[in-house]
Amino acid sequence: MTDIIELGREVVSKLRSNYDDVAVLMRTRDRVMVKLWNTEPSVAQSWLTTDVALLLTKAKRVVILEFSVGRPEKVLKAVEKISSVVERIEESELYAPLPEPQEVKLVDESFDVNVINAMKDPSKLTKLMIEGALSEGAERVAGTLTLSSDEKVLVTSRGFENSERKTLIEAYLRAFKKEFSGHWAHGSTHVNEEEIKEVGKKAGKYASITNNKVDFQPGKYDVVLSPLVVGNLMNYVAFMSSALAVLMGYSMFMKFKPGDKVASEKLTLIDAPRDPALPNVASFDDEGVPTYNKPIIEEGIFRNLLHNSGTAAKLGVKSTGNAGWVMPNPWNLHIVPGDLREDELISELRNGVIITNNWYTRLQNYVEGSFSTVARDATLLVKNGEVTGSVGRVRIATSFPELLNSVEGLTKQTYDITWWEVRTPIRAPFVLARSINLTKPYI
Amino acid sequence: MNKLISEGSSAGASYVEVRYQNDYGVSVSMRNGRVIGVGSFKEEGIGVRVLVNGSLGFAATNDLSAESLRKTLEKAVSRARSVAPLRKNAIQFSEERVGRASYEVIPKTSLEEVSVEGLISLGKEVFDVLTKSVNQVKLPVCVFRAETHTQEKLIVTSEGAYVRSRIPRMYVSANLVLLHPQKGTLQRMKEFGSSGGGELLDAWRPVDVLAEEAKRLETVLVSGVEPPKEPVDVVVGSEIIGLLVHESAGHPMEADRILGREAAQAGESYVKQEMIGKFRIGNELATVIEDPTIPGSNGFYLYDDEGVPARPRYLYKEGVINEALHNRHTASIFGVKSNAAARAMNYASEPIIRMSNTYFKPGTMSFDELIEDINVGVFIKSYMEWNIDDVRWNQRYVGLEAYLIRDGELAEPVRNPVLEITTQGFYSNVVAVDRELKFYPGTCGKGEPSQGVPVWFGGPDVRIAKIRLGVVA
Repeated sequence: MTDIIELGREVVSKLRSNYDDVAVLMRTRDRVMVKLWNTEPSVAQSWLTTDVALLLTKAKRVVILEFSVGRPEKVLKAVEKISSVVERIEESELYAPLPEPQEVKLVDESFDVNVINAMKDPSKLTKLMIEGALSEGAERVAGTLTLSSDEKVLVTSRGFENSERKTLIEAYLRAFKKEFSGHWAHGSTHVNEEEIKEVGKKAGKYASITNNKVDFQPGKYDVVLSPLVVGNLMNYVAFMSSALAVLMGYSMFMKFKPGDKVASEKLTLIDAPRDPALPNVASFDDEGVPTYNKPIIEEGIFRNLLHNSGTAAKLGVKSTGNAGWVMPNPWNLHIVPGDLREDELISELRNGVIITNNWYTRLQNYVEGSFSTVARDATLLVKNGEVTGSVGRVRIATSFPELLNSVEGLTKQTYDITWWEVRTPIRAPFVLARSINLTKPYI
Repeated sequence: MNKLISEGSSAGASYVEVRYQNDYGVSVSMRNGRVIGVGSFKEEGIGVRVLVNGSLGFAATNDLSAESLRKTLEKAVSRARSVAPLRKNAIQFSEERVGRASYEVIPKTSLEEVSVEGLISLGKEVFDVLTKSVNQVKLPVCVFRAETHTQEKLIVTSEGAYVRSRIPRMYVSANLVLLHPQKGTLQRMKEFGSSGGGELLDAWRPVDVLAEEAKRLETVLVSGVEPPKEPVDVVVGSEIIGLLVHESAGHPMEADRILGREAAQAGESYVKQEMIGKFRIGNELATVIEDPTIPGSNGFYLYDDEGVPARPRYLYKEGVINEALHNRHTASIFGVKSNAAARAMNYASEPIIRMSNTYFKPGTMSFDELIEDINVGVFIKSYMEWNIDDVRWNQRYVGLEAYLIRDGELAEPVRNPVLEITTQGFYSNVVAVDRELKFYPGTCGKGEPSQGVPVWFGGPDVRIAKIRLGVVA
């Protein structure tokens, strides 16, 4: 780590005389992923990479160089090529000077030596996940287990120097039983064997929950959304809360300002960089600003856009510690839980559809927030509080404002979810939403 | 690289593949005619793939020192070996005549001659002209992005493949938001992308094309009506047809999906191995072709990332499921030869089965002939929202620019018509196809970690019979 900081210092010191601001961000990843296919590994993948990014500003002109080249010193050669460009381009609309260094309190407990140990032989955890699903009656499984050790170093010409390291584990499994399937996922900075086994068990349970296909007619339904579905949809809401998404026309928040009601009072969505258990834990952002947890939506009220220095300067506010040099990003997400058990939530649903997983969320119009997404795996019709069968691959077709305002109940238990369709980690409960439009093709 | 091959073989690998890949370019991002940022990127490294005890291992690094490469090879071998006992059947590759060749796309104007200032000027012009092209609506957001991207690869395998390639590409995109005080907003994302160089900026005429489209979309926003509620003939424009064949013919015909390798990510396929060559998915007008060798295409290549020579593939042929996309592994399981579909996004990505340029086979009639006998129908020219289920059966496309067809002619605009249809429902209801084959660029995502690769979607305008359209409220 010291060597990398030293390299960062060297790059900054060589460039600072030619630029107003220089920042060097280096990320090293040692990662292994086992991918499963028909209950056996299809490939074991490993990566050892160093990515170097360089921010250069001069007279309000901004250039960013991103290199996946292994040796940070190679960056200096590339800078020579681009230096003449800086002189010729225009001022950036989102220029702001890099912030002066502030004291950063590093988040503890985001590194787990058990992850490092498991990386040497990931087969044990893989087996646990598979066995969990088979024990619930699954016939075959697919999924991935990823283990990683990550280090981040930031050095800026304003005098900021810091580094942090973390580990992460991401496990998700899809279990099949005849034509039915179930899916579950888990993401954390720490290995917990019970949680890994539970991924398999929950996937297996949902694959086995019914062997009955039932008719489905498009229309408005009350729905229970699993933490996987909540995670996918809230990833979009959180993306749209980035101030740059608003400026670039990719956000329903273009039509709202902080203080406006945008959701049911039952819904609170928090950006949580300082949660040591979730994989995107971060003590400081890419400009060296200390991170802090903050509500995006609090009891239905829109509270915060996410900012870096540039978007904050443009909109006359302070950075929220969410840089991205160009795009402010959410780190980890929390949905504040409710007070219901899962069985109580199903009773509250009474008649409707439980959607346990989804994918392929796409928007017709980000400003209006209109979208659809497709259910996959166990999608269950509930009558009088009882599951009567599977409705198959139906589609939620609504808008985010409508969905957010329809939230009526949440479970008290939450789950830490990261997977292919939930890239920003989230701790989320099951959610009950009323009168949501579900569709299916006529032919 | 040859040393790695021999060391891998000595370590017990029955197959070793070493790929050097270098992706680099520059990008410009602008909002409303003003620069947001200028970027430069470079991803350079080595990916090693090995077969050990019937188990597949992949490892990648961007530290190109001899020691790092040796460690990378060791990791690929040792981790493949570690999970081998979990496999019931050994992975095998099909026998192939692999290439020993070097090829490159030679642009008329090299990407090095495409200046950042020139791209910024283009972004300004787009904003200036678009702002003037509309008068009943405002244009609160006009995002412009342009990127040059050069991809260099050298693939060497223990079975004698040696393929060097260099493919430059240009990419331009715009995101427009049109705002009317009473009618609300309309959003359009438009992309241009091909292999080639700076000459593409002239050929695409992005300023004119975007300005003309903004004018038409203004009419849709201001005057658009709801689509008919009763079933009508629908003419699906080439932009949607291109996407539709990618989603409902290309993806379900990827052999790794058919076999379940992507089951936990992008899903499986309604197609099963035994359906190939037998199952009728549509009528005789339904032919979908996949062809990496189209000159100038976004998905262009002549050898895949396993060194197998590329050729056109007929996915659906006259309505029958015909040929799946294969790499050497799936070809071995199907008992056929690979048809060169293995592609890797960058050095850190394992080669997996991907599309390149997928298109619906055009017919012979003109667009006017396609619609001349429609009394009441809808022409859907472009889209924003779309999705499809994880077995590639149930899909939805929400029209953006769309028009009523009345008495054989285009009439008033239609707002947000929804085509929600099954794969068989679409290909079985095609009644006519025009000759206007057009291609559209895209980035196809697949795999874990997710890999985005450049592709073209293509097709003519296609008429389908008596479809009930929905509408976004």
